Amino acid sequence: MAKYILRRIVYMLITLIIIATATFFLMKLLPGSPFSSIGAKLTEEQEAILLEKYGLDEPLPVQYAKYMVNMAQGDLGVSFQYNNRPVTDIILDRLGPSAHLGAQALIIGTILGIILGMIAAIRHNTWVDYSSNILAVIGISIPSFVFAGLLQYYFAVKWQIFPPSFWEGPIYTVLPTIALMIFPMAVCARFMRTEMLEVLGSDYIELARAKGVKSTSIMFKHAMRNALIPVITVLGPMTVSLMTGTLVIEQIFAVPGLGEQFVRSINENDYPVIMGTTMLFSVLFISIILIVDLLYGLIDPRIRVSGGKD
Amino acid sequence: MSPVLEVKNLHVHFETYGGTVQAVRGVNFELNEGETLAIVGESGSGKSVTSKSLMGLIPRPNGKIVEGEILFENQDLAKLKEKELQKMRGKDISMIFQDPMTSLNPTMKVGKQIMEVLMLHQKLSKKEAKKRAIELLDLVGIPFPDKRVDQYPHQFSGGMRQRVVIAIALACNPKVLIADEPTTALDVTIQAQILELMKDIQKKMNTSIIFITHDLGVVANVADRVAVMYAGKIVEIGTVDDIFYNPKHPYTWGLIGSMPTVDSQEEKLYAIPGTPPDLLYPPKGDAFALRSNYALAIDFEEAPPMFKISDTHSAATWLLHEDAPNIEPPKAVKLRMEGMAKGAGGDMNGDVNNE
Repeated sequence: MAKYILRRIVYMLITLIIIATATFFLMKLLPGSPFSSIGAKLTEEQEAILLEKYGLDEPLPVQYAKYMVNMAQGDLGVSFQYNNRPVTDIILDRLGPSAHLGAQALIIGTILGIILGMIAAIRHNTWVDYSSNILAVIGISIPSFVFAGLLQYYFAVKWQIFPPSFWEGPIYTVLPTIALMIFPMAVCARFMRTEMLEVLGSDYIELARAKGVKSTSIMFKHAMRNALIPVITVLGPMTVSLMTGTLVIEQIFAVPGLGEQFVRSINENDYPVIMGTTMLFSVLFISIILIVDLLYGLIDPRIRVSGGKD
Repeated sequence: MSPVLEVKNLHVHFETYGGTVQAVRGVNFELNEGETLAIVGESGSGKSVTSKSLMGLIPRPNGKIVEGEILFENQDLAKLKEKELQKMRGKDISMIFQDPMTSLNPTMKVGKQIMEVLMLHQKLSKKEAKKRAIELLDLVGIPFPDKRVDQYPHQFSGGMRQRVVIAIALACNPKVLIADEPTTALDVTIQAQILELMKDIQKKMNTSIIFITHDLGVVANVADRVAVMYAGKIVEIGTVDDIFYNPKHPYTWGLIGSMPTVDSQEEKLYAIPGTPPDLLYPPKGDAFALRSNYALAIDFEEAPPMFKISDTHSAATWLLHEDAPNIEPPKAVKLRMEGMAKGAGGDMNGDVNNE
């Protein structure tokens, strides 16, 4: 097991290097220069000084090599925009709200989705099933920013139940969380329903019934675990789409999170912040995939990895 | 001897989009203590539905017992509520399924699946249940039961899994065990082992077994009595000897005639012509009449009643009516019957030879 995890971590590092390289060169293709958007007009001379200061006058391969060496040592550089604040500082500052929002949406969405899917499966072919199905289709096909706008309009502007934006306490998290969790909820509900129906029709459930096990125990002890395996598969990609979802949702609700910062940095050609944020997202993505793979083994003994078997 | 289980005029229907499927259309039989009753018939003849309705396991809400009684220990199982059925299932009546590869929960330890029944019905503590689970695994012939108890189904072979399923079924010493084609999915060598195991355990526990199969070889090996089902009805019932040496119903003739033997002289295997009737629209009269060479005019008008041939043997065919012409079974079937009578020492008296 330890060997397996170690091997996976090596692969992760290779993936990260590839991502860093690709992002670095792609980012340099962005139009404009980091200093063109600063309010005051710079003379050519001043701009040259700034470029030299940040090492942007050197040939690209040299810049790339320097960046990679620094990053390996944990130094992500300083921002071009915020009075030379280190990128790590900016990211750490912004990480809190994003992580909070993302985790809240993912956990609530997944749990609600699983419950909804199970209820739909148990009440198969009744109005409960049909309405949960319609909800799921709506949740999957309508993008989160549409919900965000609607939620803002009705709950914040019209009925004034929740604040429309900003990030100043638990009540502020309600609307963005709902907007963000609808997609994972819908996906989970659909998967869970299909899987539950399949599992409930299987021989081992009939055997459990023949043993005299109560219907509720059959649902939770026998069926749920087996139905969860494919749901976990979608959990990985879903988390990823949730992260990209936060980019838009944070803009709409003015949440001071990473996503909002990321979009702004791209507009401002703030190379170190773009790189730093991209790397953070990548690390998260790759870790989630690893965690999902390890989760399989926890739930399904057949997929459990045996150490050292190559 | 009073019967353990008595089924009277059982009718089971399924509501489908196409209409009502009359899967079981008036089944009567009784099961005595310690005996093995084999129910044989083609796919779709209603054998499995009959056995599942005994346990209240017919898929609801589509399937329903519309008529009839299932008498077990002074109560009618057909009228019990789901809650009461749950208490009975696994304790008084339990079941072995056809495919051991899919009938165990893949994400639950084998021991836990056995312990579940014990803790549910016998209210054993976790520790006691585990001890008993190990004993049961030992009883069904699984080596190293104390290690195996903590393993998952995928670590067992097909035959071993069927042994585990048997252990689950026997955990609470049920009075009736329903085995729904328990050997069909297994290799022939493993089949023989599982049959031996079941016979062995039956002797030890005095369980009554309903053995559903379409393998007449297995029937000859395990059964005391045989019920032949066709189109949702029992068409002939009797002891093994009655059915194999003195069959009266043309359908039973067909079944026996289509059984291959080692010393078959004909090159072509006999098959019953035609297909079973559509139970959405069961035919008027005798359901087998259309496929039978011996059908009488009345067969197309009125369903035959059960005619008693001896104390143990009866069959539902108009051929047994006193006005019916005297018809002998076809030659191929006669040859087969004679062949079996000659070779009877092997299969039929297997028990005697073993002792």
